[in-house]
Amino acid sequence: MERDAASGGDSVKSFTLELRLFFAERATWVLLVLFAVVLVYGLANGAAAGRTARDSAELVEKDTFQWATQVRDALERQALDPRQVAGRPTSALLPPAPMPALAVGQADLLPAHEQVSLWRLEKPSEGRSELENPSRLLAGRFDLAFVLVWLLPLFLLAAAYDLCAGDREAGTLRMVLAQGVSPRVWIARRAFARGAPVLLIAVLSVLVAGQIGGAEGVGARTGFAVLIVIAYGAFWLALAALVNGYARSAAAAATALGSIWVLFVLVVPTLLNVVVESLHPSPSRAELVAEARAAAAVAEKRGQELVSSFYRDHPELAPVGMQGDMMSRMLAVQDEVGRAMDPVKQRFESAILAQQEVVDRWRFASPAIAMHEALTDLAGTGYWRHRAFRVQVETFKDQLHAYYSPKFHKRAPLTKADLPNFPKFEFIEESSAAWRSRVLAGLAGIVALAIAAAVVAAARLSPRKLAA
Amino acid sequence: MIIGIAKKELVDAWRDGRFRLGAVLVLVLLVVAGLLARQQVARETAERDAATALERKNWVEQGNKNSHSAGHYGVNVFKPSSPLAVFDRGIEPFVGTTVFLEAHRQNQTAFLPAQDATAMRRFGELSAALALQVLVPLLVVLLAFGSLAGERESGTLRQTLSLGVAPRSIVLGKALGIGAAIALLLAPAAAVLALLLSRSAPAAEGTWTRAGWLAAVYAAYIAVIVAGSVAVSASTRTARSALTILLAMWALNCIVAPRLASDVVHGQLPMPKLAEFEVEMQKDVMEGLDGHDARSKQIEDFTQKTLAEHGKTSVDQLPFNFQGLVMLESERMAGVVFDHHFGKLWDRIQEQDRAVAWAGFAAPMLALRSASMAFAGTDFGHHRRFARAAEEHRREFVRLLNEDLMNNARPGDHGYAAGRALWEALPEFRHEVASAAEAWRDARPSLIVLAAWLVASLAFLGWSATRLRAVIL
Repeated sequence: MERDAASGGDSVKSFTLELRLFFAERATWVLLVLFAVVLVYGLANGAAAGRTARDSAELVEKDTFQWATQVRDALERQALDPRQVAGRPTSALLPPAPMPALAVGQADLLPAHEQVSLWRLEKPSEGRSELENPSRLLAGRFDLAFVLVWLLPLFLLAAAYDLCAGDREAGTLRMVLAQGVSPRVWIARRAFARGAPVLLIAVLSVLVAGQIGGAEGVGARTGFAVLIVIAYGAFWLALAALVNGYARSAAAAATALGSIWVLFVLVVPTLLNVVVESLHPSPSRAELVAEARAAAAVAEKRGQELVSSFYRDHPELAPVGMQGDMMSRMLAVQDEVGRAMDPVKQRFESAILAQQEVVDRWRFASPAIAMHEALTDLAGTGYWRHRAFRVQVETFKDQLHAYYSPKFHKRAPLTKADLPNFPKFEFIEESSAAWRSRVLAGLAGIVALAIAAAVVAAARLSPRKLAA
Repeated sequence: MIIGIAKKELVDAWRDGRFRLGAVLVLVLLVVAGLLARQQVARETAERDAATALERKNWVEQGNKNSHSAGHYGVNVFKPSSPLAVFDRGIEPFVGTTVFLEAHRQNQTAFLPAQDATAMRRFGELSAALALQVLVPLLVVLLAFGSLAGERESGTLRQTLSLGVAPRSIVLGKALGIGAAIALLLAPAAAVLALLLSRSAPAAEGTWTRAGWLAAVYAAYIAVIVAGSVAVSASTRTARSALTILLAMWALNCIVAPRLASDVVHGQLPMPKLAEFEVEMQKDVMEGLDGHDARSKQIEDFTQKTLAEHGKTSVDQLPFNFQGLVMLESERMAGVVFDHHFGKLWDRIQEQDRAVAWAGFAAPMLALRSASMAFAGTDFGHHRRFARAAEEHRREFVRLLNEDLMNNARPGDHGYAAGRALWEALPEFRHEVASAAEAWRDARPSLIVLAAWLVASLAFLGWSATRLRAVIL
């Protein structure tokens, strides 16, 4: 009992000693200050991107509100022809992400609002929410996720690449081992002493990110992000311990760790991308566009026939004499094109879903991928939230069509009483269970990788093997 | 003596298992990237050709209609990819591939390939360019950090110097040896890439000139890294500190600089907001660029002027369809507005890109990347040329349609319809990749920066030789 307590006290003392040694070096302070600077810059950039997204969303909301007011005022005065109202597209808006300062993710690339109209045959549009320099999209943003996924391991390794390799090189390792210290405990303590200050700043930055422009329920997201950052950091520290079990010199350890970093952070993700896109290549947008127009031409030629058959099926909507006018013929034609093209369009969504599923399955090939996926998921700027938006927009298109199309054909006037029934798009956020299960899987995977690295390191760091 | 030292360094490199492993990895990545890119470009070209043919068919078989309606029916054109995109895809995944050409409107290019991909693309696409920009420099660093600092630590540098070998010979020999090791590693990859290029579809004119320039800028870049790394190794006390400095510089150059530069430049030269861009352009189309002559007023003036020229009092007396002439005139007026707004937008993007290239003075990778994309034909300059060519095609084709309306539809004849003969008479869109000389003009800032780096790094190498010491305290 007494001995345990004494050794506990010793551990604390040894740990404080390691910390003091670490902080005694000027390089440590340079490293920590530099890391804090990049974190702050990343946070500022992420926050700015979040603000831009919020401004764009407000603009869309304002526009939607103005139109709604106009329609309401007009309806107060008189009934309206449905064609006047339905002809103007309705905005479907993806609200700003729940934790935008954490990761810009795909938000700079994928549109956050879409104009939904009765007409199915759209012109190819820019499909973007903002004007962006393509080189900037290529480079990616300097956001918090970039600092945490790419740079955090570099800073951790810079602090902890030499856990005992330098001692081995200098010959002091044998002296340390001769004192009967358990090398596992000693190395773990050292790794912790050097990694903890770096990780602590990283965790602080995540806590700050949770405070910037976050939505409701951001607390849980912040908590998960903190856990993931710690697990990711633990993985790299365990890896440093493992490499130090083998490396003959500090330089050799640094070389090996640097190469592993390149492999995990640069090479594996690009290879996974190649695999994913070869397994499930996206269909061609160029062909989609041309095919849609070919389908339109066919439907156009059958225009009168289409509208007649429509009226045969829906006599209740037919005007007197069953003769559709130009507008109803156009609608019938476009519906036909929509029906023909929807399966083709669906192929894009299924290809990218299949790609994403492969990414999800293989994300643990590199903890950097798992970390990146988890952070963008938590920020709400990753694949899944954008997908949810696209799926809901498709449903909304059907709703809008189901509501206006009969009125359009019948030319049934819209009155004040119809106002509450006008289709409105309201994005429904994913259930927290959905994102939690994905993030938990990612967290569990990173923790497992960290434990695996730690176990192998512990096996290697036995006094016998080390002394050899 | 220099050659002897270079040879020894080269042999050492090849004997180093880690270098061999890294070299094989880089070589495999380079070749795989080239093969995959070639396959992808071939597939995209086939898809685009099929779509272009189908669009032509759609256009020709659109049936009889008023020629201005045909302008509204419009046509889609697709962006051809540059032959050297197999080497460096540049911004291609992040710009649209399709433009819809129609009457009255200049549309932006639509459908960004990256929008149909997962976020994995954002980690960077596997390409020969990426391997050369990022991985090869790391390999150089790993080869070079110990070249002099390691010998200094082990004491062999003192021995060599005491034999009376000139420091200059040692330093230059080391640099040449490492350069030769890298060159030997890259030679087979370059051969494979050249073979792929020569066997791909008939290369556009200037492709080989561009390829030559690419080889030159990459050689310069790698030379900068080799010279700089050896010079750092010559000036540091221990191999360990040389490695720390070089790895930090590598990370700053290859990992941090691209994002940092584009974010900082964006802060200084912000892009306009999409909503404002569109609103202002629409406003100027309606009110005229200078804002004091509304479109309706301009058209009214134009009508009076035309009537006066022909000595008539009513547009129905004119010997042609006046509606057609008004369409021509309003296209011309809108064209001026589009040129102004799109010109401003594209200028801003190019200003940003140039600023990033100049930032290459701080991190040579930025200049190299921009030169690489320019010579590969995958930078914004080339995209702009495509967008411009598409717009010129749109104006030409809308002009021909409106002229047909003006000359062939009787005044007041609302039933006029043109047919297949006219649709077939309209030219197809053809776009050739710009000449190598134009690419060179785009790349000029980056070339200046790279040349400066080359001079500076060689000077640094020479300077480090003059100060080469057996021991640094």
